Amino acid sequence: MSEPTDAASASSIAVRAGEQVGVPLEGGPAEAFVRERASATPNRHPAHAKASANVERSPRSSGHASDVRAPPLDVPLRSLQHWFARAVMHPGGVADGIEQHAAHGGLGVSLGDVERVILPSSRLAAIERLAIYGDAYRARLVECLADDYPALEYAMGDDAFEALCLRYIARHPSESPNLNSFGRHMAAFCRSEERPPLVFGSDLTALEWAMVEVLHAPSTEKLELARLATVAADRWAGARFAPSATVRVLEFAHPVNAYFQAFRTDRAPSVPAAAWSATAVFRDGATIWRMDLGRAMHALLMALLGGTPLGPALEALAAAGQLTEEEGTQVMVWFRDWVRHGFFARIETD
Amino acid sequence: MANRFGFPDLGIGLGLRTVHYGHLLEHWPDVGWFEIISENYMQTAGRPLYFLDQIAERYPIVMHGVSMSIGSTDDVDMSYLADLKALRERTAALWVSDHLCWTGVAGRNTHDLLPMPYTEEALRHTAERVRRVQDFLGAPILLENPSSYVEFAGSCMTEWEFLARLTEMADCGLLLDVNNIYVSAFNHGFDPAAYLGGVPFDRVAQMHVAGHTNQGTHIVDTHIGPVIDPVWELAREAYGRAPGTSLLLEWDAEIPPFEDVHREALKATAFVGQREPESPAAHEPRGPAARP
Repeated sequence: MSEPTDAASASSIAVRAGEQVGVPLEGGPAEAFVRERASATPNRHPAHAKASANVERSPRSSGHASDVRAPPLDVPLRSLQHWFARAVMHPGGVADGIEQHAAHGGLGVSLGDVERVILPSSRLAAIERLAIYGDAYRARLVECLADDYPALEYAMGDDAFEALCLRYIARHPSESPNLNSFGRHMAAFCRSEERPPLVFGSDLTALEWAMVEVLHAPSTEKLELARLATVAADRWAGARFAPSATVRVLEFAHPVNAYFQAFRTDRAPSVPAAAWSATAVFRDGATIWRMDLGRAMHALLMALLGGTPLGPALEALAAAGQLTEEEGTQVMVWFRDWVRHGFFARIETD
Repeated sequence: MANRFGFPDLGIGLGLRTVHYGHLLEHWPDVGWFEIISENYMQTAGRPLYFLDQIAERYPIVMHGVSMSIGSTDDVDMSYLADLKALRERTAALWVSDHLCWTGVAGRNTHDLLPMPYTEEALRHTAERVRRVQDFLGAPILLENPSSYVEFAGSCMTEWEFLARLTEMADCGLLLDVNNIYVSAFNHGFDPAAYLGGVPFDRVAQMHVAGHTNQGTHIVDTHIGPVIDPVWELAREAYGRAPGTSLLLEWDAEIPPFEDVHREALKATAFVGQREPESPAAHEPRGPAARP
């Protein structure tokens, strides 16, 4: 698989970079975290999971209990849990998980011996019952990733996205009691896992993950516009700005924010051609915002958020020829917008 | 209130779900209480707490977790418990519950409620961990009977026998999910009445009802759709043995508008005789909830 296929039809729209520079656009994923974590069991069989398919390799899948059953294995709790988890989490499905566990010196249970650990029901063989957990494991985590990356899911199409998620789950199994950060490796995974890499997908993923990060970031103090009026004129050049915890600035090889906005407003975007773009993602109260940046805006904002004083940041921009004459007249407008939107926690003039 | 722990009767409650935030903050409906999924408000400092803080100011909150992994053979995750305790203090939650299950081992988390074998070893192991958790939290916890899809060949007692002995050994409470009894009874072929006959009702401080999905060969605990009448009948039977127990509807898939979920929960007044919520100053910010 190369770049995401255009899941939209011929009616899809083309998006371009730089169409709405400096304009804050409201909203992250629509109804973010609709599929929040719950105690329910997902009733979804991932199309690419092999858990169910491999059940046919079980010696008996009719679901009817044997008349003569071998005695149960006496398995210590810890060994039982390792065996069960290996089966449920195995990317190839529960049957492969059981075989591999046995092959690597784990619980010596072959597929033929599964009923010595798990009882069949009147309708399902033991391994079919176990596969319910294998399917649910993958379905829950795919749902979690779809929750974090709805635009990527749209761009790739359901099947390709699910296949990507299953590979991700196999590579990055959860090691936390919490799923909030489970999807954090996806942008890097998109870049590294595919040949050729999913460049657009990686860009889009980085934007969507920034929204997740900003959503969970703590609200910090906010530099108020009124504070700026108290700064003496001779202090401005040396002024530094502490970044807010609820802002992220990203640079992309594609106009992903324009794509995301079109997706979010149901305008069926097509995968755009490569073009430089940069976006600030920020939260104000409960609302997530996205603002595209021009090159000069991006360079200046990155410098300020990185701790460079205002004077040297502007000088560097001018020296690099990155600031046009027209843009030079707009710098204070940009700056006041950034302050008003809470990009900075405070100003330091000492 | 019938339980031995003195946990109050909160009436009929609902699971707090993100899709209803807007409705709640606009209308502040008369609901007895809300149950939160603890983990949805842990390892976050942002928007989830922005909403929760406002809701917890006006409604009684109880916490229902999915990651305590009380039956796991991994070490107890003290960092998780510290976060749980902090959230309880933040929300003034009246009690904390989780499930009789394990969620992972060897540092890996499946985020599923995996089944326990009902053995003497598992009983001792789990009881010891429940005591440790309760010592840390400084209060009894409730454990919920989960839905399950497998039975272990090595089990030497029924689930209800295990739960009765566990709650006695650990001196903890029970969150009785009657939908889970129905689901597991179908999946394993036991009689729900026999299950209820073995429940120590003086330890039941909360009940759950929910919808599910019947796949023919098994039932999946999806928390989807309305509660079917046989589950309400089970709830009626259970409630009759523990009158005055807080009752909550879980709805987690294809969640309809708030009014529809609330209407479904209020069926409890007809089915089990559970009273309507007492409207604990639903429109006014309230002080910290009293500790049981």
